[in-house]
Amino acid sequence: MTAFMYEKDLSAMKYAILTSTRHDRMIREIAAELDIPQIRLRKLMMDRFDMMLLENLPARYDQGKNSRKTENPVEKDLGAGLYTRAIPLISSSEMGKITEQVQTLIREGTSEHEAVVAGRKMIRGVILQ
Amino acid sequence: MKRTVDVSVPIGPIHPCFKEPARVKCETKGEFVISAEVELGYMKKGIERIMRGRPWQEVMFLAERVCGICSVIHNMVFIEALEQMSTIAVPERAALLRVIVNELDRMQSHILANFSYCYTIEHETLAMYLLDVREHVMDELERITGARVTCAYIVPGGVRFDLRSEDVLHLRANLAVIEEEVTRYMHMFEGGPLIALRSREIGVLSRGAALEAHAVGPTARASGMPETDRRIHHPTYKKLGFSPVSRTEGDNYARIMVRFQEVLESISIIRKCLDTLPEGPIRGGGIPGAGEIAYSGEAPRGELSYFIKTDAAGRVVDISIQTPSIMNIEACCHYMLKGVSSLADVPSTFVSADPCIACTER
Repeated sequence: MTAFMYEKDLSAMKYAILTSTRHDRMIREIAAELDIPQIRLRKLMMDRFDMMLLENLPARYDQGKNSRKTENPVEKDLGAGLYTRAIPLISSSEMGKITEQVQTLIREGTSEHEAVVAGRKMIRGVILQ
Repeated sequence: MKRTVDVSVPIGPIHPCFKEPARVKCETKGEFVISAEVELGYMKKGIERIMRGRPWQEVMFLAERVCGICSVIHNMVFIEALEQMSTIAVPERAALLRVIVNELDRMQSHILANFSYCYTIEHETLAMYLLDVREHVMDELERITGARVTCAYIVPGGVRFDLRSEDVLHLRANLAVIEEEVTRYMHMFEGGPLIALRSREIGVLSRGAALEAHAVGPTARASGMPETDRRIHHPTYKKLGFSPVSRTEGDNYARIMVRFQEVLESISIIRKCLDTLPEGPIRGGGIPGAGEIAYSGEAPRGELSYFIKTDAAGRVVDISIQTPSIMNIEACCHYMLKGVSSLADVPSTFVSADPCIACTER
């Protein structure tokens, strides 16, 4: 068996980070927007993000929400910058594809609200893969 | 034939150049760093948990124990948050005394950070010079507040001790010495060819990356973000006509130079305070009550935020502290260290961001 010396399981510490007041507030907001169970979102973040990124998530989330104001309407509603750059839950290329699909739906006559709801469903699908 | 292998090199948790334990795990290809990750958990205090449920009189002492290097600003932000929440006024003399002590604290923190960097790039002579000049600043802090660290100088509605006329004389004389010495060391750093080899264009943080990671303090200001300085929003600093220092290179060299420039800036702020210091009381009184607030101040390492909720008795019901090192270490491991061409530059790049692990883990 090969393993790193001193390598330890960080799950407990990562969970402690994610349950602090500000992290908890952020998780609740993201989970509500993307319709993902909070516990699932926490697990996803623990698996994909390192400790420093987890610690910095609330600051990045606030920064992402601020820069959301300058995006075009569809990207703003989908949280294109927020979920790719600030909270990297999904890759830029995948988000680009979803944004394009949503814009196509709007061009074909689907209402903007319905298209964005469909887009969020696609984002959820990619994140939960 | 030479073979290039991908390896994972852990640096730390105990490293002679790190002030505190942290483990930097680097994925490398030869000497080239592909990615880096910082692992925490070696000095968790659980201080936010300890603060909850305690009266503000106890929490104000706990707040400055979050960090031993920048204890004054933790004290100041916590107290100013309580004052904002309960609309407690501060006499003008006390407000200026707070700025003096805060700037002295910033000076010693910046000098210590630059000492640490010079020591890491093995310029021990300059490092020791800096450590020596820091003692002048520590002496002044001790003279004014009665302690070198954890001074508990700032209290709701004012400050604990007044500045005597003989202290003003000492402070002015010491500031002249510090200014002369720091200017000399800054020029040594600026013109050193070997320093440039280890510092220029190494660990570059672009403005875009700094924005994305929400980098703050000298780390952000070295990447052309002067707007991140919280002092421009502070009423006392506004009155003093404060303007932040910034550079655009974004490398290790720029981060150290920003700190040197900020030390000189702090000296001029303190002189302005001394010139305009009015006579009058140093305590206005007032007791913090119930409320909820998010309040930020500029710590030596950048924006320090306190999120506080208190009850009618002044007990802290909930508290969350966002320290600048959280953002800066994240920016360091995910942007600055990525692409560093030599493993030898990893500790120096890490130290150039002035990481405070005590603040990060709290």
